[in-house]
Amino acid sequence: MNDIDPRTKLIQVLILSTLALIYNKLSLLSLILLAAIVIALLNRINLLSILIRLKRLVKMIILIALIQSLLTKTGNPIFRIGNFTLLTDYGLIKSLEFILRLGIIIVSAAIITTSSSREIIQGLIQWHCPYEIAFMVSVAIRFLPIFKEEMTDMITAIQLRGIDLHKVKFNKKIQVYKYILTPITINSVIKAKELAAAMEMRGFRAYPQRTSYMVLKMQAFDYIIIGLSIAAAFLFFTFQ
Amino acid sequence: MKAVEVKNLSFKYNNSEDYVLEDVNFSVNSGETVAIIGQSGCGKSTLCNCISGLIPRVYTGHLSGEVLIYGENIKNLSIADTVTRIGIIFQNPSTQLFSPTIEDELAFGPENLCVDRDEIGIRIEKILKTINMEKYRYDNPNNLSGGQQQLIAIASVLMLNPAILICDEIMSWIDDEGKEIIMNVLLKLKEDGKTIIMVDHELENIKISDRIIYLGGQ
Amino acid sequence: MNNIDINNISYEYHRGRQIFNNFSLQLKNGETTFLTGCNGCGKTTLTKLIMGIIKPTSGEIKIFGKRADSLSLGSMGEIIGYVFQYPERQLFSSSVMDELTFPLIFKGYNKIETFEKAKDLLKIFDLEKVKNSYPSLLSYGEKRRLAIASVLMVVPKYLILDEPTASLDNHRIDALSDVLIELKNRKIGMLIISHNKTFIEKHKDRVIKLEGGQIYE
Repeated sequence: MNDIDPRTKLIQVLILSTLALIYNKLSLLSLILLAAIVIALLNRINLLSILIRLKRLVKMIILIALIQSLLTKTGNPIFRIGNFTLLTDYGLIKSLEFILRLGIIIVSAAIITTSSSREIIQGLIQWHCPYEIAFMVSVAIRFLPIFKEEMTDMITAIQLRGIDLHKVKFNKKIQVYKYILTPITINSVIKAKELAAAMEMRGFRAYPQRTSYMVLKMQAFDYIIIGLSIAAAFLFFTFQ
Repeated sequence: MKAVEVKNLSFKYNNSEDYVLEDVNFSVNSGETVAIIGQSGCGKSTLCNCISGLIPRVYTGHLSGEVLIYGENIKNLSIADTVTRIGIIFQNPSTQLFSPTIEDELAFGPENLCVDRDEIGIRIEKILKTINMEKYRYDNPNNLSGGQQQLIAIASVLMLNPAILICDEIMSWIDDEGKEIIMNVLLKLKEDGKTIIMVDHELENIKISDRIIYLGGQ
Repeated sequence: MNNIDINNISYEYHRGRQIFNNFSLQLKNGETTFLTGCNGCGKTTLTKLIMGIIKPTSGEIKIFGKRADSLSLGSMGEIIGYVFQYPERQLFSSSVMDELTFPLIFKGYNKIETFEKAKDLLKIFDLEKVKNSYPSLLSYGEKRRLAIASVLMVVPKYLILDEPTASLDNHRIDALSDVLIELKNRKIGMLIISHNKTFIEKHKDRVIKLEGGQIYE
């Protein structure tokens, strides 16, 4: 199943995200999310482990959804404290919409990551995307885990110096964030320069075009999948 | 024929008062292995960047003097001409490798120069054999040890067949085992007639050099 | 109690790879212990477990009699100074001087004393010339010296150094050696991850090798 062309996956994700943007009804969004999950499972993705790894992100999404629903005043109230309305049905619906959409995005991202970054770039390039842009995407992918590691180390280091992030007063909090974000930004720029030097010395952008050792060929299977995906989207369109 | 000639080279960064390099003069013969030593801060890396053309191409500043590669002023060489004559390997392996597999990483250089696929395939096999890493061909460079990563960095540069190699403190982050492996590869390259310029401060690392050049205040 | 006691800890990475299984180790304060072993075998992980940056799945770590899990990172940092393998991950300020002084001033220590202490360390680590420079723009060697100097500002009882000699030239390594000798005289114990044989020979009280989750003397 991992011999699926990355462009096929890109098309599937494109269809999923477009549908997710167009439709509002919770039932339809749930269907789209279900379709995304099925595709992800067919690509042998372990969704549970991804959920666990992203648990902080998931908590934040739920928090934002809750805040959004608390702030929405239109609709029929569900929870009340005295005269104060905490939750309305409209607010609840809107926040569920938000959660479902983000769920679709996360699962779509997971589907794309089943292809290596080199394959994705090659897909984009064979679709005539300028290779500089495609490589920028790949570099971002490659360095994301390193940035995460650096951020974690920096926060640890500043706590080891005795600055407890949880106990810092608000006005000093800004100063502390400056102490963390400035070096991370600068380190990123330095890394970017080092990377640029290495790529330059291997001839990057020597010519307006480049050859590719890796060649992607769409198989019959890919066309079938794309066809099925478009058909499913079409059915969705007409029957909703 | 002299592989590298540095004549009256001076350089300072734009926002700096002091010159990092002042009137540097030396030359390297074809096939020679030369070590450049000096205290940290004396401009060794800057010198490497000037010889490889990264200054002024990527890093800017006030540059005067000349760098000649096989008799030609590096200023007049195109990117393609430069990288097929000189390769440079840096200290930190992780910012030199950016592809998901080793095969992709090795192919990157020649792909940029529009080398055809079959030729790229041939070079990949040859290089992997030289550094003895054929079985890692489809692995992710992130999962390799520091020493192995540096080997891949060296191999990626060699894919362009440069005759001159600059090694800018390439062993700094490598453990003893890795150092030995890298030294053996450098020895092989020396036997193949490559011109090697090594910048380092550990005498152990530069023992393969024919000659030592001292930079800076001694 | 003057030891770091690691008792029967187990730890595994996210992807399920078991690094330590019922692992025990005792480090005496005042002693300089060198930790060697292949890259990726868990040396840095062990130091992070000691510092409480990551927690073992079972077992107990005691830092000079106190349980590691009862100490906050801030308190831990005052007992054990930790210098990362990549020094740029622990340098935050806009100037070298500020880097040394800001955490103490932030916590309310006396400014004059703090600056005096910082000046001493600048001298010992040969950083006087760059005292107003941006730490991120220093060379690898200078960054490393600054990182070590900055953890020494709170006068910890023990030090953990991860590859302190990487990127340093012999002249600087000698300067670092002098500092280590001075620290030893003050009875500060150290755990140093290193591959530099000469350095190890010069300073070791004990050398342990970590391989396959086991310690070999």
